[in-house]
Parts: sequence; C-alpha cells; structure tokens
Amino acid sequence: MQQRGLRRGLLSILGGLILWEVLTRLLLENELLIPPPTSVARSLWKLSFAGELNRHLYATLFEFTCGFSTACAVGIFLGYLMGRYPWFDELMDPWIATLYSIPVIAFVPLIIIWFGIGLFSKIVVVFKITAVAIMLNTAAGIKNIDPVWLELSRSMRLSPWETTAKIRLPAALPYIITGMRLGVGRALLGVIVAELMAANEGLGYLLRDASETWDSPKLFVTVVLLAAMGMGSFSLIKKGEQRLAPWRESAEW
Amino acid sequence: MKGTLRLVSIGGGLVLWHALAVWVIDDSVLLVSPLVVVAKGYEMLFVTADLYPHLFASWWIFFYGMILAALVGVPVGFLMALSPLVRDYMAPWMTALYTTPRIAFAPVILLWFGIDIGSKIIIVFLGCVFPILINSFYGMRVVSREFVEVGRSFRLSEGRLFVKILLPASVPFILAGLRLAVGRGLTGVAIAEWFGATEGLGHLIFFAGQTLNMPILFVGVAVFGILGILGFQILKIIEDLATPWKKGLEAN
Repeated sequence: MQQRGLRRGLLSILGGLILWEVLTRLLLENELLIPPPTSVARSLWKLSFAGELNRHLYATLFEFTCGFSTACAVGIFLGYLMGRYPWFDELMDPWIATLYSIPVIAFVPLIIIWFGIGLFSKIVVVFKITAVAIMLNTAAGIKNIDPVWLELSRSMRLSPWETTAKIRLPAALPYIITGMRLGVGRALLGVIVAELMAANEGLGYLLRDASETWDSPKLFVTVVLLAAMGMGSFSLIKKGEQRLAPWRESAEW
Repeated sequence: MKGTLRLVSIGGGLVLWHALAVWVIDDSVLLVSPLVVVAKGYEMLFVTADLYPHLFASWWIFFYGMILAALVGVPVGFLMALSPLVRDYMAPWMTALYTTPRIAFAPVILLWFGIDIGSKIIIVFLGCVFPILINSFYGMRVVSREFVEVGRSFRLSEGRLFVKILLPASVPFILAGLRLAVGRGLTGVAIAEWFGATEGLGHLIFFAGQTLNMPILFVGVAVFGILGILGFQILKIIEDLATPWKKGLEAN
C-alpha cells in the first residue's frame, strides 16, 4: 500500500518533468516564459559553482535558524507562563491574538523601518511569526494537561521544578511541535518577503534579482530551492511530530 | 474579573504605546501614538474617504480568489479522498506546491499573467486553495464508517450515498477549511498587491513603508487585522448555522 503510493508518486514526478521538458522544447520554445527542466538544472549547476548560490542560501538559512531557535525558547517560556497562570494569559491574550490575526506580510515594512535592511530585521520577522504560533500552542498544551498526571506527580512528591520538567513540558510537547509546524511555513514566507523587499543577499533577494533581470532559469532555480527548503523543514517537523505524538493522526501535507 | 484584566491589558498596552511614542522615541518616522493612528483612520474613512478604493480593490481580489479556491479545492479534495489513484499521482505535486513559500510563485505568475487583476487573483487563489482542499480531503476521509454502512444497508446508490451522507458529513470540514483560508487569503492579497499594484491595502502599506508614513502604515496594518478577525468570526457563525448538530454534540 505504502510502497505503491511511493512508486506512483515517483512516477508522477518523473512523468511531469518529462512532460514539462517536451512541452517547453517542442511547443513553447520560449525560455523566458517557462524554461525546460534541463536548463533550470544547468542554471542551478552554474550558480552553485560560482559560489553565488551558497552565499544566498547560507544567508537565508542563517536568518531562519537564528529567528526560529530564539522564537522556540521565548515562545515556550511565555507560553508556559500563559498556560500556568490565567492572569498572565489574560494579560497577553488580546495582544497575542491581534498579532496572530494580522497577515505576516503587513508587518514586514514596519520591521524593516525599525531594524534596518540587514540580517537582523529578517531574524526579527522569523522570530515574530514563529514565537506567536509556538506561544499559543504551548499555552494550550499546558492548559489541556490530563489532571491524572498532576495527581501522579503529587503522589510521587515531585517538587514544582520536577513537575514542570517531567510532567508539564513533556505533556505539552506535541502541542509545541504543532506550533513549530505552523510557524515554519509562515516564517519561511516572512523571511523571503523581507529579503525581497530590502536585502542584498538571501534567496528572496535572488528571486527579485532574477525576476528583474528576466533570467527565467535563475528564477526557477530559486523557486525550486525554496520548494526544497519548504518541503525539507516541513517533513523534518512532521517526523518529529510522529515520534513525539504517534497517537495523533498527523497531517499528510 | 475575567473581563477586567483583559481591559487592563488592552488599556495598559495602549497607554504604554502612547508613552513610548510620545516621550521615549519621539520620532514620527519610527513610531506614532495610537491616538494619531485612530485619527488618521477616522480621517481616511470619513473625511477624505481615500481608504475605500483600496478596500474595494483588495476585496475583489480576495473575493474572486476565495471563490476560485473553493470551486477548485473542494472537488479536487473529494476526488483525492475517493480515488487512491488520483491521490497517489497528485500527492507529490500537492506537497511541493503547498510547502513552498507562496511568494516564490509570485514573480513566475506575474511573468505568465502580467500585472492585471488576473495574476493577483491567482496569487490569492494559491494561498487559499490548500487549506480548503486538505480539509475537504479529510472531511471525506473521516466520515464515520457507521454512516456509510447505514447508507449501504439502505441500498443507496453510489451517487445517493455521496449526496446524502458523504457530502453533508464533510461540510463542517470544508467550512473550517474556508475559515483557515481567510488568513492565508489576506496574506495573498498583500503579496499580490505589492507587485506592481496601484491600489489596494497591500499597496497602501508598502507605499507608506517606503515613504516612511507611519500613521498610514499603522492604519493599513490595523485594517488587515480587523478584516482577518472579522472574516474569521463571520465564517465561524456560518459554520455554527450550517452545522447545528455540532453545537449539540459539544454541549453534551
């Protein structure tokens, strides 16, 4: 069953690529509009050899990792407080909910004005997006903890610290991971938008550069790289989710 | 008690914001007081009325994008749920499209469709279609076996089974998908209007950002926030109206 799905999937991708190649070679013959896969691959090869690609890729990955890891730390901490103390939850909630419901993109111009066009503003964009998602989910996880477990910790005479470390946080872990999964996609979008708007390196910058110079193969290379980044981070988190919360039917996409 | 703390939080935050803007930063290029933002919003809504063209431009893009997404997402989701063949062949492409940051497609779409409203609708569509599609898919997948068996024992034909049982059972999921799509659609509107638009809320924000016009920038951000919350709530109400049995279940 699983195997058949995989085989068909591969077949579908391969078929699609061949179709794309043939159609663009025979019918369109316009590299500007849709370059065939082979010229995209050639462009990828050339760009990575020139070292240009690595620089942009590193920049984006660096911004993303910095923002994401700080967001995890801060988000889990504040989310924990929100889950534990109702007064803190009520204090934070109106602002968090407002921040969460405003589209990511709308904030980007503001963040660029405040933090400049360098790496730092992108880190802030990623941080803002991810932290809110993780905070909300961590709080939900801490709140929804099974009271039986807390009773268990009391009968074991665990100290408050141990209760937090051994019972509360592990119980909230699946929620936290879900928050991360929700954050990843939006954060990646945010960082690319920020780079598109104002930056001198990163994949977003490359995207803008390619589209402004009408270099379609390069544009498609960037799209493919972004797709790879998106899928990579998504499947990593999905794996984590399946390991930590195997009882949940995790999303296929 | 519950309400007061909330009010304190909102009030305190606004006062803090005002204090920060007026006494600490004191630079209208970096931050303006919420009072200035409200005044600007009032002016743009009722005095000069120059918010409306942007609002309408964005609204139509959003509206058509959502409709298109629902028209495509629901049937494709159903098809993928009902036919393993379709599912296996479509899944890798769906994953690729879904997980790629949407902004990556924006320049490509502009290249193909120009900077008309068409390409903007497609950008919104790309954002909205996946939550709708995925929810339709799951809605159809998780229909309780018992319902289907009841249908079978009444000897419903495949078509009747679909209309009478599978479709109504997946309605709540589709509506939840629509609700999720609102936020992504608004992001799509902002992305779409940033590329070569002359009006719309996205254009307003980016233009204000580039000209360092903080009051307008904040008004734009606030309008996006209000629209997001409003859309979410409206669809929530529709959801409750369309699936009255769910409310009873939750009460139990």
